[in-house]
Order: sequence, then structure tokens, then C-alpha cells
Amino acid sequence: MNSRNIIGSILRHFLLLLYLLFLAFPLFWMFSISLKPISEIRSLVPTMFPKKIVFQHYINAFQEQQIFESVLNSTKVGLIAAVGVIVIAVPAAYALGRYRTKLNKGVIGWVLVSQLFPAILIIIPLFLILKSLGMIDSHLGLSLLYIVWTLPFVLMMLQGYVQGIPIELEEAAAVDGASRFQIIWRIVLPLLLPGISATALFAFISAWNEFFFALVLIKSPELLTLPVKLARFTGMEGVVRLGPLAAASFIATIPALILFGFLQKWLVSGLTKGAVKY
Amino acid sequence: MRKVLSMMVFLSLLFGLLAAGVVSAEEPVKLKFVSLAWQKQSIEANKEIVKEWNEEHPGVQVEYIQGTWGSIYDYMITAFETETVPDVFHFESAEIVGFAQKGYLTDLSKYMSDDLKNDIVEEAWKTTKTNGEGVYGVPFLWESQITLYNKDLFKEAGIQPATPADPWSWGELREAAVRLTKDTNGDGNIDQWGAGLGLKSPAKKFLRLSVGFGGKFFEKNDSGNYVVKVNQPEKRLMIHHKAMLYDEKTAPISGIGQSGSSMIPGFLAGKYAMIPNVGVWARQQVVVNASDDFNWGVIPPIKADTQDQGVGTQTLSIPSDSKNKPEAMQFIEFFLSTKNMARLAKGDWMLPTRKSTMELPEFTNAGNGWDVALKSAENLIAGPWQSIPGFTEWKNRVGNPIFQLYLKDEIDLKRASEQLERDGNRVLERYYD
Repeated sequence: MNSRNIIGSILRHFLLLLYLLFLAFPLFWMFSISLKPISEIRSLVPTMFPKKIVFQHYINAFQEQQIFESVLNSTKVGLIAAVGVIVIAVPAAYALGRYRTKLNKGVIGWVLVSQLFPAILIIIPLFLILKSLGMIDSHLGLSLLYIVWTLPFVLMMLQGYVQGIPIELEEAAAVDGASRFQIIWRIVLPLLLPGISATALFAFISAWNEFFFALVLIKSPELLTLPVKLARFTGMEGVVRLGPLAAASFIATIPALILFGFLQKWLVSGLTKGAVKY
Repeated sequence: MRKVLSMMVFLSLLFGLLAAGVVSAEEPVKLKFVSLAWQKQSIEANKEIVKEWNEEHPGVQVEYIQGTWGSIYDYMITAFETETVPDVFHFESAEIVGFAQKGYLTDLSKYMSDDLKNDIVEEAWKTTKTNGEGVYGVPFLWESQITLYNKDLFKEAGIQPATPADPWSWGELREAAVRLTKDTNGDGNIDQWGAGLGLKSPAKKFLRLSVGFGGKFFEKNDSGNYVVKVNQPEKRLMIHHKAMLYDEKTAPISGIGQSGSSMIPGFLAGKYAMIPNVGVWARQQVVVNASDDFNWGVIPPIKADTQDQGVGTQTLSIPSDSKNKPEAMQFIEFFLSTKNMARLAKGDWMLPTRKSTMELPEFTNAGNGWDVALKSAENLIAGPWQSIPGFTEWKNRVGNPIFQLYLKDEIDLKRASEQLERDGNRVLERYYD
């Protein structure tokens, strides 16, 4: 490696490090605030690290708002939404990606148009439909709504992944006598795993962060999800109880981080690495 | 046989009645109460009062639901439209008047007791009435705009603070701010500002305080519709602020992007000698965050032509779709009793609206500026904007941005006034279509 390459490599890594710091800083800052006493939080000159570490904000967050209960609720709703949307989207994406019909463009257009409507516009009809199904104030109803809400985007994402799988693999399997189901189950699905992981993560995080539907649909305090609970630390005219909010928000990021760590190996692995030799 | 049948019918009826009795004894009326309390003390006070009610009224049980200020409007609109309303909800007068005009709320005047009716200050009642036709919310908390000051810096500058008996005019406030603004280390930069003006959302503040100059900003035209009018009384407060920011340089321009409460750390650090015109609740932020040796006090409302301030109130209302209106009103009466209103006001550091509550010793003593704060309630009058359709949209889309442009010195007074009227009337017109 010549000196020019070494300098280029150092520069690249330095820029990556800066980018990493840029991404990680909000999380670090939130964690730092969650451990500071109120006097330090309100100090005119903020400090990077707490001078004195206190856990009072975590105690407040757990005692006042039962944050742990909401973490479980959000995890449950997020997992149901992620699994549900994948179960529906995978076959639909395969059909859209592999079968060329006149309906394709229409279906994709319809899917995109459905994304144009803001939540506030459709919440009342959705509420009434779920009410007639007896699904108000239930995690199942909320999860169903998240599945419907994220399905168009997940479908579009997965369709791209399906189209990225070389058709030659399926043709080779067909020549070897595999049925359509076997082709999908043994060939397509394993190759689609990175796409499924990415879209499942997207569906989970969308459900995890969603506020408005949860606010309107969930009435029982014990069923509330995290975003609704976090909003309770803000008051009139945007005044915030920063300590408990930072503590609760930090807790809120942990399950998403764990899930991301779990799915990471699928996300970073190549889509069709080594599958076809040209 | 007939006897047996008769006996069976009698017994089944008897069992039915007994069962109904048992069921009714086991199933009390259930009320849902959405509260917007968010400070720790205030949430605790709310929960305690609800608990006490539930213990004293086994036949009517209240479920406490914590709402949030940022989402209550959307929450209630969807609740009204889908007929899944709570029985009692907490909000503010400027918003519930709009709900009442759409028929979402119960007129409480026929449900409430004379005791409650007569004990709440008349100006507070005015904030929850629509054209004098009904009462759609019980006002229970309100706030005046007071000035926080640093006693040590005042003493150092030889300034005597204003008192309720001898309030400051705007000229006196500005004069004191000039004396308190200093370059303490001689580097040519100001280190100690006379005033910290938090002007992040100036529209409501300007409307409230302009009332003292006779400014209303809204008046009815010949068709009976409200239009925006910015005349001399409406301009005077704007001029005072601009002078402090640019001519006298006694308040930092950075305050234009900050809320009143976000000026508190600077106040505690001695960067600002005063925080003028901040809500009475801001005292809580000082008490929680100040060190033991920090000496602070409260200056009563600044006198314009009068000390009057326009105001809205926090309210409790009953949706018209509630199936338990009498019980809901009974709960409101209990929740807002003299003693309980004191707990709520203390919890939120705001002013109570009941005359009997104001007379309680915990409000009349001098601790943490309660005496001055309470006295300032005499200057509160129902904000003239309370019943104007489209006020909230005007405030957010026209008032705040244009006042901010003026305060940033990007437009002059003439242009600001013209834009407030022109753009504001475009918004209001839509509400009369």
C-alpha cells in the first residue's frame, strides 16, 4: 500500500468516525441528561458528562408512568405488526415482482396513492371500522392498523428485493423439478432474508415510534404504548420535564437497538452473494 | 298447577329484581376523566382527589386518564366524531369555545350549583361562555404575567422594586433595565442584561398585555364578523419591546427564539436581572432550580394605561355525548371544591378562580411570591379573543410569525400591522363561509 492509499484510507476512516459521532451524539446526549441532577440540566453552560450522577429521573419515569409496562406493550404491538406485514407482503411482493400483468402498474399506483393521505384525515373512518370489529382499545386492533399503514411501503421495498434475485436461479430449480412452492420456500425466501429483515425492522420501528393512532385508539392506561407515555412529560407551551423524558426515551431506544443488533447480520450480508457465477 | 306456575313466575320476578339489585350494586356508574396535569406535584394532586372521590362515592367511580397538552385537541376531536368521549375533560377556554360552537359540549349552567356559580370570579366565567348563551366549561386555573427579579442585582444597582401598591409603568421597567444592563468585565460585551425577554411565541403574550393599553386586535365589522385591526393601542407594546431589544439594548436578541421558561437558567446565573412578563407558574421553575442563596422576588403586572391583562383559563367540560352528565357535574363540583382547587393551583403554581380559595392562608402569605401573584388576579379580564372563530389558527399561522419578523427587525411596524390585518383577515374569513 503506497502512502497515497494510506492517507486516503485514514481520511475515509476519519470521515466515517465523524459521521458515527454525528449519529451517536443525540443518543449519548440523551443518556447524559438522564443521569444529571435538575440543577445541571438547567445550567446555563451545559456539560458533556454529568458532574454528579443521579438515577432519580429513571425512578420517576418508572414510578409515574409505568414505562416498563409501555415498553412491553410497544414491543408486542411492534412484533405483531412486523410479522403480520411480512406474512402479507412477501407473497404479494413476489407476485408483483415476478408476474408481469397489466394490473401491476395499477396496483403500484394504488399503493403509492394510499400513502398520500395524512393520518388525521383517515383516523375517524378507521376508528369506526375498528369499532364495528370490536377492536378499539386493543393491541390487536392497533397492530392491524400498523400492518395496513406500513404495508404499501414494505410492499414496494420487498418488490425491489424480489426483482434483485436472478430469475435464472428459479429457472434452474424448475429444470431440476422443483414445484412453485418449493422454489419460493427453498430458493427465493432464503435469498430474500436480508430484504425481509430490513422491511421487518422498518415495520417494527414505524409501529414503535407511532403516536397518533395509539393516542386515539388506545383508551386504557395499561395498554398505552411508549410514544403516548413519553408525550406526558411535555406540558403547556412545549415546556418539558427533560430529566424523566430523557430517561424514558433512553429506555425506549433499548429494545429497538437489541432488535437491530439481532437482525444486523441479515442486513449487511450480500443479497445474492455467490449465488450465480457468470 | 296454576298455583305452581304463579309461584314460579313470582319467584322468577323476585330473583330478577334481586339480580338487578345485585348487579346495580356491583356496577357503579363509571366516569372517564381526562386530565392535562403534567407536573409531578399536579399529577399527584389530581390522582389524590380522584382517589378521595372514589372512596367517598362508591356508586360513581372515576377513571383518571392522563392526556397531554400537545395532543388533546386531536384526541378530543376524534373522540367527539366517533362518540367515544370521556365524561369530563380538562382543556383551555380559547379552545372549548370553538368546541361549544360546534355543539360538542354540554351547557353546564343547568347542572351546576349556586355555590360554584357564585364563588368563581366573574371574569373567569366570561372566558367559557359563548355570546352569553351558555357555560361550556368550569374555569379553575388561570395565570397573570408577572416579572421575576434578582434581589441582589437590584440592591447592587440601588433599584427599589415595584409593589402591588406602587406598580411600574413600562417606562419605569425600561429605565430599570437600562440601569441593570452592564458590561461587568469591561470586554465591551454585555454580561448582565437588564431583562430577559422570552419571545418564542409572542402572539398570545402581546394580545394579553396589549389589553392594558386598550388593544384588542379583533373587532366586529358591520356583518357581525370579527376582523383584525391594528391601531395605535395595539402597537404600543410592540414599540416597547423593539426599543428594549434594539434602541436601549437591555434585552438580548437571542430571547426572540426562547420561551419565557427557557430564560430561567440565565436568570439564575445572573445573566438577566429580570424576566419580565412571564406566567406566574414560572416561579416553580425558579424554586426547583435555584440554589439556596439565590434571592429573587416577584414584581406585579407592569402598568400600561391600566394593569389589566387579557387571559384565558384552564377548564373542565362535559361533552354533549356523555351519558352521565349529572354525575360528571357532581364530580367537577367535588374536584373543584375550595380545598381541592387550592391543591390543584399549588400543584401547577397557577392562580385559582374561586374567591374562597384565594382567601386561604397558603395563598395570602408571602412565600415564593404567592401574595403578589394572587393580588395580580384582580387585573385579569377575559381575553377579547376567547370566542373568535379561527383565533388559534390566526395565532399560529399569522400572529406568531409576523410578530417574530417585527421583533427580528426584518419588517417595520407599519408593514407588520398591515400583514397582521391582511393575512389575519384571510384566515378569519374562512371561518365565516
